[in-house]
Amino acid sequence: MSAILEIRNLTKKFGGLTAVGDVSFDVREGGIVGLIGPNGAGKTTIFNLITGVYMPTSGSITFKGTSIVGLEPFRIADMGITRTFQNIRLFKNLTVFENVLTACHMNASYSFAEAILRLPSFRIQERKLVEKAENLLDIMGLKQYRDLVANNLPYGLQRRLEIVRALALNPSLLLLDEPAAGMNPDETEHLMQLIARIRTEFKLSVLVIEHHMDLIMGICEHIVVLNFGQKIAEGTAEEVSRSPQVIEAYLGTTEAADA
Amino acid sequence: MDWTYIQGILMLAGINLIAVLGLSLLTGFTGLFSFGHAGFMAIGAYVGAWISASPNSTPAGLGLPFFLAIIGGGLAAGIVSYFIGRISLNLKGDYFCIATLGFGEAIRLIFNNVNLFGGARGWPGVPARSTFPVILVADVIAVLFLANLVRSRHGRNMIAVREEELAAQIAGINVFKYKMISLIISAIYAGVAGVFFAHYMTFIQPKMFSLTKSTELTIIVIFGGLGSISGSVLGAVVLTALPEILRAFEIWRLVFYGAAVILIMVSRPKGLMGGMELTPGGIRKAIAERNALREAKKTLLAESGNGQED
Amino acid sequence: MVQFFQQLINGLSIGSVYALMAVGYSLVYSIMNFSNFAHGGVIMLGAYFGFFGLTLLKLPFAAAFLLASIGTLLVAILVERIAYKPLRERKAPFLYFIISAMGASILLENIVIATIGPTFRTYPEVFPRVPINIGPLAIGRLDLMMFIISAVCLTLLILFIDRTKIGKAIQAASYNVKACALMGVNTDRIILTVFGLGGFLAGVAGVFFGMKYTVYPQIGNITTKSFIAAVFGGLGSLPGAVLGSVILGTIETFVAGYLSSQFRDLIAFVILIAVLILRPTGIMGKVTEDKA
Repeated sequence: MSAILEIRNLTKKFGGLTAVGDVSFDVREGGIVGLIGPNGAGKTTIFNLITGVYMPTSGSITFKGTSIVGLEPFRIADMGITRTFQNIRLFKNLTVFENVLTACHMNASYSFAEAILRLPSFRIQERKLVEKAENLLDIMGLKQYRDLVANNLPYGLQRRLEIVRALALNPSLLLLDEPAAGMNPDETEHLMQLIARIRTEFKLSVLVIEHHMDLIMGICEHIVVLNFGQKIAEGTAEEVSRSPQVIEAYLGTTEAADA
Repeated sequence: MDWTYIQGILMLAGINLIAVLGLSLLTGFTGLFSFGHAGFMAIGAYVGAWISASPNSTPAGLGLPFFLAIIGGGLAAGIVSYFIGRISLNLKGDYFCIATLGFGEAIRLIFNNVNLFGGARGWPGVPARSTFPVILVADVIAVLFLANLVRSRHGRNMIAVREEELAAQIAGINVFKYKMISLIISAIYAGVAGVFFAHYMTFIQPKMFSLTKSTELTIIVIFGGLGSISGSVLGAVVLTALPEILRAFEIWRLVFYGAAVILIMVSRPKGLMGGMELTPGGIRKAIAERNALREAKKTLLAESGNGQED
Repeated sequence: MVQFFQQLINGLSIGSVYALMAVGYSLVYSIMNFSNFAHGGVIMLGAYFGFFGLTLLKLPFAAAFLLASIGTLLVAILVERIAYKPLRERKAPFLYFIISAMGASILLENIVIATIGPTFRTYPEVFPRVPINIGPLAIGRLDLMMFIISAVCLTLLILFIDRTKIGKAIQAASYNVKACALMGVNTDRIILTVFGLGGFLAGVAGVFFGMKYTVYPQIGNITTKSFIAAVFGGLGSLPGAVLGSVILGTIETFVAGYLSSQFRDLIAFVILIAVLILRPTGIMGKVTEDKA
């Protein structure tokens, strides 16, 4: 199995602060990788580096064999990497349907002129976009909320909508930033099943940042642990939970904590 | 009150409408506020006047047909807006506002100080070409053009930029490109409005295109409601016609404007239409949204009663 | 050479008045993160208050001066209460503040036009027009007064911000208003103070401006230049506002003196464009980042 994402010696400095220091890891194609670590460890910064929001100070990020360092965020999205955000960034005043329909835009290619003159190419492609959006909402169980303004969705469903919006872009790699934040154990369970399901149905690879350990241990086949911008451990859930560095990072002592 | 008088008011409203529609795309749909669009009107007006004025008048023009003046004026405004956009679209929030303010005033000052176009005294000999049917046709085209643009993936992308710029980037939208296109189209609209204005008034002076005019345009867009084309149409007609009818209170017109702006911002910033369109489709959508909200409240209230969340 | 220093003196004097105006913009921006475009209208009212204090009420100069400044202080606070406070309470996006500010600016300018009238008024001569001669240089008494009083006011302001308790609260608020409120600081009082200070200085600037030039309702437009000076120096920074104003005033005077007075107004915009292209945060401005 090849790696769909390869990160080598990735470093990001903000002035004197090293947010990410010499981090290297892979995301296997079709895999679900977890990125964990205490707050401020640099996890979201790595997401921002991958999606082109930040420029790395040094190091390489290779996606499907091509370097994506220095590309603009919309190009990276075009290549197949999409993400969700820690603080939900939906198009809050648009309806659920409009949020997804907007994100479907890359599936059409009609120009401004074709749209304004309402040429057949516009009509045909636009209908396909609408179909795709409706379909996505249906598969993901949001069809009944179609005309609800996104801001009025309950929190858990807002998070789900963000994932659906990301899926509309036909990604190969999906980055989820704390998707279970604020969820109770029941909702977290549903989310885990959802992630596993979309990985198979949409043929994705997933890289997920989380603090909810049940989610991480439950679905991640591989886990990378960060602290203070450095990678301190990597491996399966069991390997990582036994690593002394990880225990120290989370608990601050070398005594074993109850599993 | 005779028909010519009413016609005059409607024509003025129709001219304003074109500029307002353009600004609506930039502000209402793409979320960028501009205090310099009178500058684009000025460019359109002067270039348009230069193209159509007779070579015998002072200042002299090219004496070409009106439709060339429309195209020329619009294009000129669009081209200038491209360069302004390159400089200022990368700036954050109110720095972009400041830039537009600066450019708008700078354009006015240049026309004021350069005697080639008449300087502060202005250009008196512009042929009268703006007739009622021409403006009406222009308005219809302007509205259709904008409506079709907004209801396409390109329009949705602009709206996404307005809603959540960072999320739009991540959703594969080239934010800079869309901001630029929005700016250029809004400038072309303003330029065309300027051409019609010049050929209606038959004379133009730099002081007609002041910061106050730019602000008036933005106020009309806000009054009508951001993100609503029908709101902009209504706003342009009401806010142009009203003070003309209340001609006796001319000096209080701008006092009313200023007070109205504050009132709107403080009590109902969504404006008249609040994002809704006064079309069959728009009304249906508004109703659907209201129903969805009611349904959602019902089901979620019921579910939370069982202690469960979907 | 003599002309050089002569122009320099003129430039510094007009620069000091710009500084009084610019400081008002920067103060409000530092706390509330928006450009208070109503400030120009307040300055204009200062010119009118001083004028009527001298002519109608026949007050001595110092009294009229004080009356004008207290008048503008009150107007500035009134504008804040009516046009901005409701927006603050609703946590409206900052662009709404700018629109409201524009509305207030138009309102103030046109209330004056509609009530008092658009005719230009000239201040009675307070300082004799005979300049003070220092060697080959001639310094207008008015210019000297402007420079001295402005310098005094600005020094007092900076001392106030630096040394007093509420001054420190203002500094803290300029970094993070919410955190300040959480620490028990009465942010409403701070905002009132900031507007009051800016308003007072606007009155001083307005009176001087009216004395040096004339009084008319569109004075607010000239203050666009002081706003540009504030951007040049860095919005949100008081020393920056002063520095930017002095530099702008000096460059402006030199351009008018050596090139042509036609281009004097334009130079401010050239500087603005240069600032926006090269360094939008200005010489000393604060930089804000958006956390992804």
